[in-house]
Amino acid sequence: MMPRWKGKGSQAKANADPMSKIVSQLQSSLIQSETRGLLSSCSVLVEVDAELADLLNRSCFGRPRITAQEDKQWFQLDMEEAFYLCFSLKCLKVIGEDGYIKSNEELWDYLKSKKPVFPVSYKVYSHLRHKNWVVRSGLQYGVDFVAYHHHPALVHSEYAVLVLSEGDNDLNGRLRVWSDVHCTVRLCGSVAKTLLTVIVNSNNQGANSPSCLEHYTVEEQTITRWNPERSREDQIGPKNGTKKV
Amino acid sequence: MKPRWKGKGSEAKASADPMSKIVSQLHSSLIRSVARGLLLSRNVLIEADAELFYLFNRARFGRSRITSQEEKQWFQLDMEEAFYLCFSLECLKGIGKDGSIKVSYKAYSHLRYKNWVVRSGLQYGADFIAYRHLPALTHSEYAVLALSKGDNELNGRLRVWSDVHCTVRLCGSVAKTLLVLFVDSNSQGTSSPSCLEHYTVEEETITRWNPEQSREDQTSLRNQTNLGTI
Repeated sequence: MMPRWKGKGSQAKANADPMSKIVSQLQSSLIQSETRGLLSSCSVLVEVDAELADLLNRSCFGRPRITAQEDKQWFQLDMEEAFYLCFSLKCLKVIGEDGYIKSNEELWDYLKSKKPVFPVSYKVYSHLRHKNWVVRSGLQYGVDFVAYHHHPALVHSEYAVLVLSEGDNDLNGRLRVWSDVHCTVRLCGSVAKTLLTVIVNSNNQGANSPSCLEHYTVEEQTITRWNPERSREDQIGPKNGTKKV
Repeated sequence: MKPRWKGKGSEAKASADPMSKIVSQLHSSLIRSVARGLLLSRNVLIEADAELFYLFNRARFGRSRITSQEEKQWFQLDMEEAFYLCFSLECLKGIGKDGSIKVSYKAYSHLRYKNWVVRSGLQYGADFIAYRHLPALTHSEYAVLALSKGDNELNGRLRVWSDVHCTVRLCGSVAKTLLVLFVDSNSQGTSSPSCLEHYTVEEETITRWNPEQSREDQTSLRNQTNLGTI
C-alpha cells in the first residue's frame, strides 16, 4: 500500500532520512550514554539529554513528560517500546522498583504479570518495528497499535493494528463477534486507516522466557469492506481479504 | 434523554400515533390472520397480506423481501422480532440451549416493551439501535449492546479497553449514545422460555467524559457511566 505523505517534500525528507537509520542512531546513543530506565508500574521512565530527546522524538519511541526539572527531559516508554529497546536493540537497561537492574527474563516476567497478553502483543510490535514501521499506541482509534511508514508528522498512519492469538482462546478480546468486526472496520474507515490483524501462533512454545518469541509465527491479514459494484469481473477491484504487509 | 425529532410536526405526529398502539394493532392482526411463519436458521419468514404488510412497516418489524410471487408479500423477521410477536411458539421452545439468544432477546423485548423501536444495529457495530418512534420522525438515539451480567464467557464485546474506545468513538461519530444492557439470568434454569420473565436488565450508558465541560461550578453533562431508566 502506497504511503500517504503529508504535504510536499515529506516523501523526500523521509527518503533522505530513513527510519532504520534514525533507530540505529538512537541505539548507538543509548548504548554510549549507558542510559538506565526506571520501571514504574506499566511504563519505563528515562531521563535524557537534548540529543537523546531528539532521537526518541524522531524515531517515535516514548512520549515526553513535563516535569519541574528544567535541564533534563523525561520520556515515558510503553511496555513494548521499553522491551524492544532492552531485548531487541539491546541498548537500554531497566532498573526495577527495588533499585536493581532487571535482566531480560526478569523484565519479561514482570511485564507479563502486568499484561497477560504481553508476549503476543510484543511479538506484533517487534515484528512491525523490525520492518521499520513506526508503531504507536492505537487506543484512541479503538485498536492496539497504529503503524506509520515514517514519522507521523510526515505521513498519515496507514494501518490500525489488532493483535490476535491463534486459536480461539481467552487472550483474544476482539473480533469474537460480528458486531465488533463491523464496528472496527467502520471506525477504521472513518479515520482513513486499514484494519490489519496480526495473528500470532505460539507454536506451543509457551511464554516462559523471551527466547520463546523466536519460534512464534505471525500472519498478517487486512480486513476491508468489499464493494460489489467496484469488484465486477471486468474491472480491477479494490484490495480485499488477505494481503501481506 | 430527550428524543431528537426530525423537523417540525414530527413530535406531534408521533404523539398522535403512539408506538404502543401501532404494535398492538400488528399483534391483533397476526392473531386474526392465523399467520404461519417458516423458520430458517436465525430468521422467520412470513407471508403477509396487504394489511399485515402495512402494519409490519408501521411498527418497524422485519424487512420486506422481494420474491418472484407477485400476489403475495413476504416479510423476514429476526428471531427477537418473531419471539416478541409471540409468533412462532415452535421457535420459542428451541431457544433453551443458546444462552446468547436469551440475552439478546431479553434486551430486545425490554426495549420493545417500553415502546421503543428496536432494529438491528449491525451496521453501527452494535447489537441493536433504538428509536423513540418511527425512524422517519426521529434520529436514533441509542446504539445498544446486550451483555450477560453473570456469565462472562458469553460476552463477545467490551472485554478489553480497545473495544470500549472503538465503540464509544464510532457511536459518537454517528450521533448515538452507547447503551449497554446487562442481562442477569438470576440463576434461572435454562430450559424454558418462561425463565426469561425472571431475568433482570440493568441499563448503563457509556459516554466520554470531558474535563472542561464537567467543572464543579457548571452543571455537568452526562458523566462516564450513568444509571438511568429510559
